[in-house]
Amino acid sequence: MARAKVEQHPATGITLITMVGLSIAFLLFIAFLNVVKTGSILNEANLLYAALVFYAGAGALYLGFGITGTDSYVKFASLATWAGLIANTGAVAHRWYEAGHPPFASIYEMLLSFVWTLAALTLIAEKRYAVKVIGTVTMPVAIVGVVLMELLPSEVRPLVPALQSTWLHVHVTLAMLAYAACALSFALAMMFLIQDKVKTELFLAATSIFTIGIYAAILSRFERWGGLNVIAWDTENKTEVFIARNVRMFVTIPELGWLMLLVFVAVCVPLLLYIVSRVKKNDSFLETANKAVFVSILLQALALVFFILRARDGQYPSLDAEGLYATSLAASPFILAALVGGIFANLLYLLLLWRREDLERHLPDADALDRITYKTICIAFPLLTLMIAAGAFWANRAWGSYWNWDPKETWAAITWLVYAGYLHMRITRGWRGRRAAYFAILGFAVVMFTFFGVTYLLQGLHAYA
Amino acid sequence: MAPSFRSVIRSTWQTLSSIKTGVILIILVVIFSAAGTVILQRPMTDPDDMQRAYSPGMLRFLDAVGLTDVFHAHWFVALMILVSLSIIAASVQRFPNAWRYFARPYKSPDEGFRRVLPIQAQIPISNEEQALSAAERVLRRSGYKSEHIVRTSSFSLFSEKHRISEMAVYIVHASLLLIFLGGIVDALYGWRGFVALTPGNSSNQVEIKTGTTRALPFSIRCDGTGEETYTDGTPKKWWSKLAVVDNGREVSRKEIVVNDPLVYHGVRFYQASFGRTGKLDQLVLSAAPKDGHAPVQEISLAMNQTIALDSDTSVQLVEFIPDFVVEDGHVYTRSTDIANPAVHMIVTSKKTNKPVNVWLPEIDGVAENAASPYSFTPKDLKTGLFTGLQVSHEPGQWAVWAGVVLMAIGLTFVFYVVHVRLWVVPVNDARSGGPMLWIGGSVNRNRDAFEETFKKLVEQIRSELKPQPAAEAEKPAASMAAK
Repeated sequence: MARAKVEQHPATGITLITMVGLSIAFLLFIAFLNVVKTGSILNEANLLYAALVFYAGAGALYLGFGITGTDSYVKFASLATWAGLIANTGAVAHRWYEAGHPPFASIYEMLLSFVWTLAALTLIAEKRYAVKVIGTVTMPVAIVGVVLMELLPSEVRPLVPALQSTWLHVHVTLAMLAYAACALSFALAMMFLIQDKVKTELFLAATSIFTIGIYAAILSRFERWGGLNVIAWDTENKTEVFIARNVRMFVTIPELGWLMLLVFVAVCVPLLLYIVSRVKKNDSFLETANKAVFVSILLQALALVFFILRARDGQYPSLDAEGLYATSLAASPFILAALVGGIFANLLYLLLLWRREDLERHLPDADALDRITYKTICIAFPLLTLMIAAGAFWANRAWGSYWNWDPKETWAAITWLVYAGYLHMRITRGWRGRRAAYFAILGFAVVMFTFFGVTYLLQGLHAYA
Repeated sequence: MAPSFRSVIRSTWQTLSSIKTGVILIILVVIFSAAGTVILQRPMTDPDDMQRAYSPGMLRFLDAVGLTDVFHAHWFVALMILVSLSIIAASVQRFPNAWRYFARPYKSPDEGFRRVLPIQAQIPISNEEQALSAAERVLRRSGYKSEHIVRTSSFSLFSEKHRISEMAVYIVHASLLLIFLGGIVDALYGWRGFVALTPGNSSNQVEIKTGTTRALPFSIRCDGTGEETYTDGTPKKWWSKLAVVDNGREVSRKEIVVNDPLVYHGVRFYQASFGRTGKLDQLVLSAAPKDGHAPVQEISLAMNQTIALDSDTSVQLVEFIPDFVVEDGHVYTRSTDIANPAVHMIVTSKKTNKPVNVWLPEIDGVAENAASPYSFTPKDLKTGLFTGLQVSHEPGQWAVWAGVVLMAIGLTFVFYVVHVRLWVVPVNDARSGGPMLWIGGSVNRNRDAFEETFKKLVEQIRSELKPQPAAEAEKPAASMAAK
């Protein structure tokens, strides 16, 4: 009996908790030294740093739980999430007080609010619906968010006239709530698929397609001689460089394009191997594919490191003008988020590959997950509707027209239509289970495209976000 | 055999109202809208940019099929009309059934209904009347008002909550149609344009996006405009004092800022932009006599204004060049931006009676600054301001806002308000032959949660019956049907 129990829980849980606890203590001590030096405790940077430390600790514990299935990790992970949430709330409050308006005006402030919502929803999902491992998915996203915030220009910018409206705050608050609910429905749909005994190799294919999408989007900035175009950065004014209204200037980082192309090829390999194994009906290719995922993670990490090293600062030529121009990581938040997101997606796949039984043991059953997914979308859909309506109302006051068909608006409408399609299929056609889960995942993919893709790939009136 | 006119109509109607058609139409809208965000759109994009982005053949093709202005193309409008028709058809087809639920509630369940209802339970009883009143008490405690249903051979209870929920979907569909209606009205009768005004001037001519001009039946006058900036120079606030002049009478007056327009007779004036006209308002100079016979004085000149510097000498401002360049001994302006300004003044002295051309800065070839009895130093240049007003007329927007409010109400009912029906009927059990209390429940959504509520209600009714002596003999016969 005892032996079996030990086998089921290989680690007692003390080791990881002690390690994470010590790291948190260490990092907080370093931060404390910094506080002593600057003489102020409760400034936003410190609070944000504390939030990062706690979220990272929570993320490590959730991952540890995912890998070993030790229950006590979850308890400490939620404690860490609570602590992170409190620090995050402090940062939001400080920001609000400093700026004199709710923190939704720049992409930095929106990330601040988004991460807050995500952490709060994680705790709700864990306590209310007993979806314990949800932190394994949401905490890495929160960590990426906070890391991006550390990089983005964070000083309080005065609001240009068009943004000085209560309706803007209503609009963005609703957007953040709706998108966080969509993110949750996505995570739940994924867990449903795990509980519904979807084959692990299908997740392999999905992860691979997702990563290929990321690198394809990055390679849309590929320049002929192997360079990668990134937005130029005005270090003095801390803003992107514009050559005309709404037209950003790009600089080309040489050789980085080749590296991205190489990683693109590497992330294609698992999918190709998967296709080959399906065609030849030979599962031995899948084992190679899993190894290829491992290799691609290493290469992706390499791409991330080189991207950070090259794009952090430095002077590069531009196709738009003569001479050398500076860039900064702050100019490329989306590329950075995409690179980190790709790595996390692949790591989560490995977690699933290695620890599927533990995950299944700790998740609610498939029916319950299916129902909670639907309920989350029932919350997200009205929020989406109101978000679009508030945006239209604001546009009508600021620009004299409630609907301009600008890309962000159009994609918001597309998101709305996709979820409307989900609801119709579920209510009138009785779509349950897998088909509904795939639909929910599609919905979130469209949300992500509206949030990041439109800003990164398409241009329009929403130049502020 | 040619299909009759009626059957064509019927099959068209069937096709339109099917959910499949609806989904296909939604997918088409999604695809074409997405195309409209990926392909550069006129008239927002510069024609030059369009030509740079696409090859001439490609551009001709895109223009021909309307893909360069998707959202105003006839086929897109037709698609939206089809979507509206599909919503109408689907709603109309399903409405009678829902209306039956709504208008003629099914209050007295017959045997067939009792057999198949998924959520039901049976409790053995001794006295029908006592049992029914016990059930009624329990229901009332849980917030359900019961109705006594008397039929020739039976007596039962019926109770329901939130019947409106059956209509919620139609409320949402109607609200969507209302929004479309507003959009169509605005597309047909609405317009948007631009007016630039300098302080003191008025205009009733609006430049429409398409390049034409529209005359308003009244005119708008600007009484002042200005800008406030943050310390770092980014704009904080733009304002304009506007007045509406109708039939020569001032009828309305407002200081507008961004996000707060002036509305008159359905025409809205928005603060859209703000700028400098490139025209001179006031030039401030200091004038020093070269022979030192008088003190240095500071003067302020408007365009074409003449000022006497002393009893003999006067100066007139005759030209202002915002962005000057000299070619072949002539001064030209490159643009209307105040990038490289120059002023031309004429100094006249009664002594010589010869006008002297003074230029600031001194431009070789045209300036005769040396011959002037005064030397001038520029102090300040005040240029004219203009306010850019976006003008729009959207008669359909009220339908849109009404639709939005209606949709919010409808969605609340769709997702959060459940139509609950409960029936309590005394029956004779076929097997035991004894009297039983049959309890049935039905909801239009969220059945899992209701099953729990129903179980509790049945338990409460059971315990309400317990204290009565007859209930002592009760067997655990109540059962939940499997599905």
